[in-house]
Amino acid sequence: MSSYSDDRLVAYLDGEIDKDEQLEIEAWLDNDPVARDKLAALATSGQLLREAYEEVVREPLPDRLIAAARGERPPPVTARVLPFTPRRVSAPAGLRQRWRVALPIAASLFGLLAGGSVAYFGLDRAIPIGMAGSSTASTTEATLANNLWLDNAAGDFKLFVGTGGKALIDVPATGDSHEALQKISQSLTQQVRLPDLKPWGLSFSGARLVVVDGRPAAQLVYTTDNKAIGPLALIIGSSKQPDVPPAFDRRQGVNMLYWRHQGRAYVLVGQADVGYLWGIGNDVAWQLDAI
Amino acid sequence: MSLTRRLGASPAGVAADADPVVTRFDDQLIAVLPRLRRFARGLTGSVVEADDLVQAACERALARRHQFQEGTRFDSWMFRIVQTIWIDQLRARAVRKEESEVVEARAGSDEPMRRVEARLTLSEVRRAVDRLSPEQRAALLLVTVEGLSYKEAAEVIQVPVGTVMSRLARARLALQTQLEGGGGLIGSTRNVELQ
Repeated sequence: MSSYSDDRLVAYLDGEIDKDEQLEIEAWLDNDPVARDKLAALATSGQLLREAYEEVVREPLPDRLIAAARGERPPPVTARVLPFTPRRVSAPAGLRQRWRVALPIAASLFGLLAGGSVAYFGLDRAIPIGMAGSSTASTTEATLANNLWLDNAAGDFKLFVGTGGKALIDVPATGDSHEALQKISQSLTQQVRLPDLKPWGLSFSGARLVVVDGRPAAQLVYTTDNKAIGPLALIIGSSKQPDVPPAFDRRQGVNMLYWRHQGRAYVLVGQADVGYLWGIGNDVAWQLDAI
Repeated sequence: MSLTRRLGASPAGVAADADPVVTRFDDQLIAVLPRLRRFARGLTGSVVEADDLVQAACERALARRHQFQEGTRFDSWMFRIVQTIWIDQLRARAVRKEESEVVEARAGSDEPMRRVEARLTLSEVRRAVDRLSPEQRAALLLVTVEGLSYKEAAEVIQVPVGTVMSRLARARLALQTQLEGGGGLIGSTRNVELQ
């Protein structure tokens, strides 16, 4: 029975060898308990290594890095950013620019909600007749649907905040939060799972039904005393549009992280800055297997 | 696979599409920041140095954004920038680095209680990574933590795949040896079943 170099053993562990060699190594491992122990220890150290650095990606991004990524002048470094410390919530210049673009679309909250009803009853009625049936029409339709959805999501969130975070919860999370989810899920085509955002200091407050892309969707509301993060809404709806990777947007003065995955559309809405939203979005996707 | 990595890879790994929510260059950059910070944290072993490194990488990326090839992995491109800047910094600060390592090692031996506590935490693992050579550390972080393939890691580090393989093996064995000697973290879980 041949033995294998450490290089090959590690490569086996990393899935970097071909099938034939994999079978040979497995046969060797079957007959060599010392090698098995070595492999198990290597696997364990690899797992420990991943765990040792996992917390870094959950940390809020320092403002200076966000500024650097946006090509802005970094703020003076007077203190180190720690998790869950108050942060500025005003939009970076790039986002303010987008806000100015979005302003004419925004009109008013109730106007947007009315616009959402257009999507609810069929977008084709809102598209010029001459465009119907063309590829441009489908692109326009998708664009309109997304704009309406994101505008509605922003409007719903503002309405929620405007009422003090109480009036717009159909099913409050009193006691068993899963019971609230069950009730909401009865109106949806798929069961909604509840991401646990306690590591971010966010508590599930309740859920309500909203309309997304003409279909009912669940809006999960999380609150916290930390105004740099919450309140926060996660909307989960179904979608027939293709998957898109997470992307940031800002509408009506609130930040959004939006993505679609396997027939579901997700949007995180809140006043938290994009660094927090990104970290929380990571967490949500991890828990819901939504990416 | 780390699911954080999965989310991190999506916006960074593809070019922006025609979605109304346009994924701009700086959005891609922000999206990959958490992983850049993690990579940099592993390389430098320091929160502040890591963020300085990532900030420098962002500035360089923006200055050279025209060099990024659409359709290639944005995250790998950024890892390469971080790696390049870090190597440059190591070369420029070689003397200072050696001095700080001596100070750190001495501090560790003078604080047995702190060391005992560290054994119970994952900080021991990070400390073990700090003791690896810079070359081994980069290969280990890219493959084992960031989930890059050997080929992708080789492109980031700009060495042959075989070199990545050997550096990685040495790094994994050295890490394991340090952990076994340092606190029994591995020994206590030696019987873990492999999948």
